[in-house]
Amino acid sequence: MLERRYLKYADWPLVVVALLLSGVGLAVVYSATHNLPGASSPYEYVIRQAVWLGVGLAAMVLATLWDYRVIVAWAPYLLGFSLLLLVAVLVAGPVISGARRWLVIGPVNFQPSELAKVTTVVALAWLLGRRDDWDTFLAIGVALGLAALPTVLVLLEPDLGTSLTFVAIAFVMLYGAGASAWRLGLLAGLGLLALVAAVVVSRLGWVEILKDYQIERLVVFLNPAAAKYGAGWNVIQSMIAIGSGEFFGKGYLAGTQTQLAFLPARHTDFVFSVIGEEGGFLGASLVLFLYFLLLWRLLVIAEQAKDREGRLLALGVFGLVFFHTVVNIGMAVGLLPVTGLPLPFISTGGTNLITMFAGLGLALNVSLRRKKLLFDE
Amino acid sequence: MRNAYTRALVQRRIAFLFVLAAVASLLLGGRLVYLQLLKGDAYRALALDQRLRPVPVLAQRGQIVDRHGSPLAVSIASDAVYAVPAEVKDVPGTARVLAQLLNLDPERVEALLTQRAASVWIARKVPPDQAQAVRQARLPGIYLVERPQRYYPHGQLAAHVLGIAGIDNQGLEGIEVAYDEVLRGVPGRDLAERDAGGRVIPHGERVYLPPEPGKNVVLAIDQVIQYIAERELAAAVERTQSDFGLFVAMKPDTGEILALAISPSFDPNRYQEFPAEVRRNRIVTDQFEPGSIFKIVTATAALEQGVVTPTDTFFDSGSIEIGGGVVRSWRPGGHGSLTFAEAVYVSSNPVFALVGAERLGPETFYRYIRAYGFGQPTGIDFPGEASGFVAAPGQIKHGELLRWANIGFGQGIAVTPIQMVRAAAAIANRGVLMKPQLVREIREPDGTLIWAHEPEPVRQVISPATAATFLEILRGVVTEGSGAPADIPGYPVAGKTGTAQIAEGGRYGDKAMASFLGIVPYDRPQLVGLVMLYNLKVYPRWGGTNAAPVFKAIAEPVLEYLGVPRRYGAKEEPQDTLVTVPNLRMREAAQAVEALRAVGLLSRVEGSGQYVMDQTPKPGSRVPAGSMVILHLISEPQPGRSVPVPDVRGMGLRDAVATLAGMGFEIEATGSGVAVAQEPRPGALALYGSPVRVRFEADPAF
Repeated sequence: MLERRYLKYADWPLVVVALLLSGVGLAVVYSATHNLPGASSPYEYVIRQAVWLGVGLAAMVLATLWDYRVIVAWAPYLLGFSLLLLVAVLVAGPVISGARRWLVIGPVNFQPSELAKVTTVVALAWLLGRRDDWDTFLAIGVALGLAALPTVLVLLEPDLGTSLTFVAIAFVMLYGAGASAWRLGLLAGLGLLALVAAVVVSRLGWVEILKDYQIERLVVFLNPAAAKYGAGWNVIQSMIAIGSGEFFGKGYLAGTQTQLAFLPARHTDFVFSVIGEEGGFLGASLVLFLYFLLLWRLLVIAEQAKDREGRLLALGVFGLVFFHTVVNIGMAVGLLPVTGLPLPFISTGGTNLITMFAGLGLALNVSLRRKKLLFDE
Repeated sequence: MRNAYTRALVQRRIAFLFVLAAVASLLLGGRLVYLQLLKGDAYRALALDQRLRPVPVLAQRGQIVDRHGSPLAVSIASDAVYAVPAEVKDVPGTARVLAQLLNLDPERVEALLTQRAASVWIARKVPPDQAQAVRQARLPGIYLVERPQRYYPHGQLAAHVLGIAGIDNQGLEGIEVAYDEVLRGVPGRDLAERDAGGRVIPHGERVYLPPEPGKNVVLAIDQVIQYIAERELAAAVERTQSDFGLFVAMKPDTGEILALAISPSFDPNRYQEFPAEVRRNRIVTDQFEPGSIFKIVTATAALEQGVVTPTDTFFDSGSIEIGGGVVRSWRPGGHGSLTFAEAVYVSSNPVFALVGAERLGPETFYRYIRAYGFGQPTGIDFPGEASGFVAAPGQIKHGELLRWANIGFGQGIAVTPIQMVRAAAAIANRGVLMKPQLVREIREPDGTLIWAHEPEPVRQVISPATAATFLEILRGVVTEGSGAPADIPGYPVAGKTGTAQIAEGGRYGDKAMASFLGIVPYDRPQLVGLVMLYNLKVYPRWGGTNAAPVFKAIAEPVLEYLGVPRRYGAKEEPQDTLVTVPNLRMREAAQAVEALRAVGLLSRVEGSGQYVMDQTPKPGSRVPAGSMVILHLISEPQPGRSVPVPDVRGMGLRDAVATLAGMGFEIEATGSGVAVAQEPRPGALALYGSPVRVRFEADPAF
């Protein structure tokens, strides 16, 4: 019986940690948005975030209702559907801040690239589950080729940060599927080299592979100080906010840099800076620890999975959460370049929240069904 | 070598990913340690720096008040309107409303609102009602801020002394800049916590360092005297159509400037509307060729040196050859035989040329000129003072003696009006030269005295005896000479007139400057004043007829205001049988006739012209009532103008020459004896400078 299995095999620590993070998220979103200019009420953002949280939890439960093997079997359709949406975005999406990333369906703004993150995890689990040996360049190439489909479409939006997510997921899952570290490392190195070559070739004017503004973005991407008043300014403000929080923080709703609007994008990209300022080292390291627990639980689920697909699913979700968390916090503390990746479970943004919970749902699905139940088969 | 996909491999790989996650977490955590624990202090300071933006608080600028504490320059809080263009929603609409409320040009406002700047000033020094209207209009992006602003409550009164303070309360000209450090005070700072938009945070940290208000400057200027001076000077400048006029009054015993007026003047509240030339304090910054008023220097030097006495006799033949040049008397034909004192009365150039160049000699003369402070700044507390110019002996290669002869009557030297009035004040101050002072005291805003000006004697230039002697002579200039129009009943005026040609480009052109240097009461001086009318255009352009009355018009009410009692000397008291002949020189002919009738004397007019040049009997003579006084008239010759030819029939050669030359005619004489015929005939109009033929025949009476 499904209910008993939930109670007995569900990875409750994973759920609890996710809910804790979401709770922190609601509190932090309120702090960051209650005096945001242009809001209709102090609660506007936090209510919307709570609604999305409900939808996300529903998506998590939904993702556990069918056996993950059934879901993996649907992978071609799921991936096909999300790729279709990505094409639709490029064709019909409105241009917002110079990029097409959204589909507007009635009152809902929907970001197909977020859905693609989950379906790519499922699709890769499907592909990598089809054979044992993935430690050849050809096999790796095939898997990366699949991941390249959403990567290229998202790159065209353009959304460099999100497109790299697919690559990161693919590398983690390939590693989990047996591809050797040196092959993956070599390929990653070659990819980086190709990028540099593209920049150099374009700069010298031989062939225009990359346009000037794209190079500009890459330069900013690699070195935020090059754009002092753009991304670089934001990082400096973020570091001031976090650093000035010191050990105990300035107290909830009492972060000067946050409340006085010095901190930019404080409910989206730089939400972790709010935690660092108001919660201090205590709060920030606690949140960091919660993420670590979450990642640990995902690895435990992967380890305990009864089959290859299950393990790969869990590892894919691990890659998804890991990449987002590290890139976002790394950006907030000034260690990594500024990309627009949200902090899972905390940054505002409904699609991302649903994606993350759907991912957790898949992992829970794997943990629920890790035992072969006699009467169920 | 391929890895076999075994359970061990899977576990190893998952363990590796676990380590990866742990390492990443530790790296991020370590970064938090670095930012929050190690560098926390520094970032907290940075954060506070961002929020605590110091806003300078302008100090209240000190007042400038007159010697009795009446405010001449004050600071008032006024509203300024500025815009943040980025926040303005409806540019044309906002511009229209603002322009209407502030009486501005809508297009100009619109141009300001579309500037790519964080903020732009729309209007400053906005009147309170307009400010209120703008406040109530609640236009997005339009703000008001209160700033202390300079305000000159009396407008142009003493404007040239006060100068101006700029929009940021900084002194730019005049006393405002000379005493800027005293007036400015020390700006305070308002350290308030502000949000990213610059708004002050309620209950935030706030450190307010109050500004230290500027100190008050008490001028030596007396507001009442200044007002009288400006009023009379402006009237004179208009009447005489002068380019500009100057008046400066000094208190002789202290060197304090009681009034300093320049017309045309300006309103420092709207100083931008006036050219810098009008704002210049020419009394301190400009230098002029002084002309006859400089004779006071020559005369006192000569008397002090003992090279002349008041009664020494000279002969002014109309011109004198000296140092290879010719010095002419302003009166054609000269003044004849006269004492030194009379030479001062009639302002004889040949006599002063002789006294300066030969009796004194360049070295001695130069020493006195320097002792009087010419050729060097007086040290007055005012910016931009000029030095004037005096060539030292030996400095001029050719015609040096002629140059010193010229300096003897005030040409070939450049002086500032402040130097000139100070020299006269030294004579009035028993020979002691004082440093001129515009500022009397400096006080705290609450009135506490900080600094008071002590009179600063510079040096004894001439002895008190010489000074007293010369004051008597200067008194004579008014009672018997060209300075008559300056005299005031009961306030005996001493003075010296000057009519200087203005040199332009190294040549004397057709422009003239009329001046009068007055000391009153001459025996107990209270006031020394200098009047200058530059390029006046009414004829005659003499100092006696134009500048001397201005001195009288100012000095009379001023002395009354100062409470100086009037004194009537014995000579002025009317007597029954004998009548004192008044001084009618430089009076208008009609006025002179009227004046004589008033004291019971008859008159006969000789010559033609508007003004009395001379009279018989002399002024001060005691004659029986009903006696006849002969008035010799003259007009100032005007080049290129036709004037009526005087009647010289019956005159001897010498009188005929003088009379004709006095009207600017040359004479072509034939025969000898008395004139019997002339061509053109008397009363006919003839061009100035044209010849008149006169035939003389032996006087049949002989």
